[in-house]
Amino acid sequence: MSKISVIAGQELRDMFSAATSWLEKSSADIDALNVFPVPDGDTGTNMMLTMRSTMEEAYRAPDHSAAGVAHAMAKGALMGARGNSGVILSQIWRGLAQGLEEKEAFNAAELAEALEKSAQTAYKGVSNPVEGTMLTVIHDAARAARAQVEEGNDDIVLVLEAVVDAAGESVANTPRLLKVLKDAGVVDAGGQGIYTLFEGALRYLKGETEQMRLRKPQMIVSELPYTAPLPQVSGIDEVPYGYCTEFLLKGDLLEPEEIRKRLEKKGESLIVVGDDSAVRIHIHTLNPGNIISVASKLGTLHQVSIRNMDEQHQDFLEMQKEKMPITDTAVIAVAAGDGLKEVFGSLGAAAVVPGGQTMNPSTKDILQTVEATSSENIIILPNNKNIIATANQVQSLTQKKIKVVPTRTIPQGVVALLAFDYEADFKANAEIMEKALVSVKTIEITRSVRATQINGLKIRRKQPIGLLDGELIAVGDTDLEVVDQLLSRLDLDEAEVVTIYYGAEVEKADSEEISASITSQYPKLQVEVIRGGQPHYSYIISVE
Amino acid sequence: MSVKIVTDTLSDLTDDLVKEWGLTVVPLYVRFGKQMYRDRVDITSEDFYRRLVNEPVLPSTTQPTPNDFSEVYNKLAQETDEILVVVVSSKLSGTYQSAAQARDYLKGKCRVEIVDSHTVALAEGLIVIAAAKAIKAGAGLKEVAQMARQAVSRSHLIAYFDTLKYLAKGGRIGKAQGLLGSVLSVKPILTVKDGEMAPLTRVRSMNAGLDYLYNTVAGYKNIEGLAVEHATTPIDADNLVERLGAIYPKERIYRSVISPVIGTYAGPNALALSILEAETP
Repeated sequence: MSKISVIAGQELRDMFSAATSWLEKSSADIDALNVFPVPDGDTGTNMMLTMRSTMEEAYRAPDHSAAGVAHAMAKGALMGARGNSGVILSQIWRGLAQGLEEKEAFNAAELAEALEKSAQTAYKGVSNPVEGTMLTVIHDAARAARAQVEEGNDDIVLVLEAVVDAAGESVANTPRLLKVLKDAGVVDAGGQGIYTLFEGALRYLKGETEQMRLRKPQMIVSELPYTAPLPQVSGIDEVPYGYCTEFLLKGDLLEPEEIRKRLEKKGESLIVVGDDSAVRIHIHTLNPGNIISVASKLGTLHQVSIRNMDEQHQDFLEMQKEKMPITDTAVIAVAAGDGLKEVFGSLGAAAVVPGGQTMNPSTKDILQTVEATSSENIIILPNNKNIIATANQVQSLTQKKIKVVPTRTIPQGVVALLAFDYEADFKANAEIMEKALVSVKTIEITRSVRATQINGLKIRRKQPIGLLDGELIAVGDTDLEVVDQLLSRLDLDEAEVVTIYYGAEVEKADSEEISASITSQYPKLQVEVIRGGQPHYSYIISVE
Repeated sequence: MSVKIVTDTLSDLTDDLVKEWGLTVVPLYVRFGKQMYRDRVDITSEDFYRRLVNEPVLPSTTQPTPNDFSEVYNKLAQETDEILVVVVSSKLSGTYQSAAQARDYLKGKCRVEIVDSHTVALAEGLIVIAAAKAIKAGAGLKEVAQMARQAVSRSHLIAYFDTLKYLAKGGRIGKAQGLLGSVLSVKPILTVKDGEMAPLTRVRSMNAGLDYLYNTVAGYKNIEGLAVEHATTPIDADNLVERLGAIYPKERIYRSVISPVIGTYAGPNALALSILEAETP
């Protein structure tokens, strides 16, 4: 591939024109990434429309220098900016234009500098910059360009390649920085848009226009796994989101900074960008009338848009549902310990009722969770022999259909939930889950609360004792010794997977010692150590 | 002039089956870095999986170009005037689009019917074989296309994956996304539903996965076609075939290897089971 050392205005225009078509191809996919409460319900479309206005202006520009084109792009973007992402995008072009001021053409080093300007300007437009958004992505992209230049690289194609790579990684990383993204299992939509634009520009420079016609931009996938958020059981009143209000304010001698200060306390997610003749304003507010009346005293209002975000939120909830497998059945598990709660949640339980040994939940506790769960068909996993009867009571107190799979231990609950079949109906699933219970043996290690004699064992107070499927059959001086005793009672030829859930009062290192001991004695077994965080039981071990 | 069948490499049909039924197979592309390979043509499954596991960069895949299809159409048009094209689910790949666009470049008179299999791997392949049988029995294009479209709902793919990593990275996870993020290490069992990946359940080991696949077959009463494929573990797949011999004639079970393009998303150690249910009278 031939090296490109300098880019002039015309090429700057053509590369972002190609990038705009490239973005257009994935705008629907980017829309689908949207997560409430990110302001716009349609980031991909907004960025695409902003880019169209950006490029139309660029082609109208009389000045064909790099500075002239960049300036026209900035102007077109400001005039046509849509949504939060469009406004930030317009800031990026504004920064680029400042960086390329008075330049006929630019080289790699000047591009890196202009991108840094873009990032700075983008941050400046937002009152409360949030990381894990397109701001982070442009920042990381600019940093990559700078690093290339500092290494002495003067090929713009290579610099842009580094920019695209860095932007892609940055997008994949956004869920780590922003919890709403992590909860929804998506990457930031605006960041994806930035990545796609740079990727499109790079492809154009590489002469891949033919491939661009046939292919579609790649969507970056979240590096973090998606876990269904557990519903809030206690009824927290929902905070209204209000109205997403945006418009273009035109006038003479406007002062963006002043306007920002005046609006700052009137809402959330405020963005004010522009110059003395045109300012674009974006804010989330409970009282849009107030904002409009303040602004209308300063100049004329254009492209006014006021959208009800509570409606958008409903749409968002609907969209979230679509991402999950369609099943008419929800599973509710009873478990104590944050680790175990996470185990059940990550395997798809709709809710986890806190409870277990010595803290059995009441029928009312379970009933409340049942009622708070959106499904009409509910399978309950009591995970303790003393909770099965309580769970069975729920049916007579609700209109919903309830099945209780009589799981007596946590490992039984886990295998039952694992066996859940997404294609089976409610009744069949309850049967499948109950059938799965025989495939697991449960070992529980705890401390004796008093001295006693049971099953021929002499037990001192506070001594480690071991239960196999609920029956107390081992005692020893250490947890490890008791685990060994119990394992020797099992036929491990058929077993494949051992999972050790260690309790709240156990150190990870101790549990790893037990894991190592099992592996050395039974090398064919696959042993997994998980923090269960459960009280009372130092270890709950499942043998499948 | 009998109807000719065109399919893509994702139908995972072996060379023997391709020859036996006189099929034409259009390859997709798999790319490692800058090197582009035609699926099953320039890269063998063995090579592919070795590189998939060992190379730092994950491969990417591309559908055939419209030109790839039009070349095939025009060549076949010299010997027939009716072509049936069976392609991978349009929700998983743009192959359908290329196959459809290619019709615009058709020289001469030839009718081309394109069937979206709504599935992939030998679940797609079994539809192709069923169509080939119908053609052999004298069916014309309209009839065989109708038959193939009707077979779509009878063809089921059940796959054991060792990991969802590759499917997630490749952006084709669909509703199987719900299985991601487990704190425990679990092996997903997936299917293709309404043309896209969807979850069935999870197991903790390959043996449990093999049990699940076996039990699934045992749950079907009327089976017209059955196929087992492996990615990197031929012995496990062979053992499954042996076991299935108890409920279905072993010699009639098709055996193949999951193609590189599918392997890009399925990853190593995956197993695929395809069932074509018989028509209920």
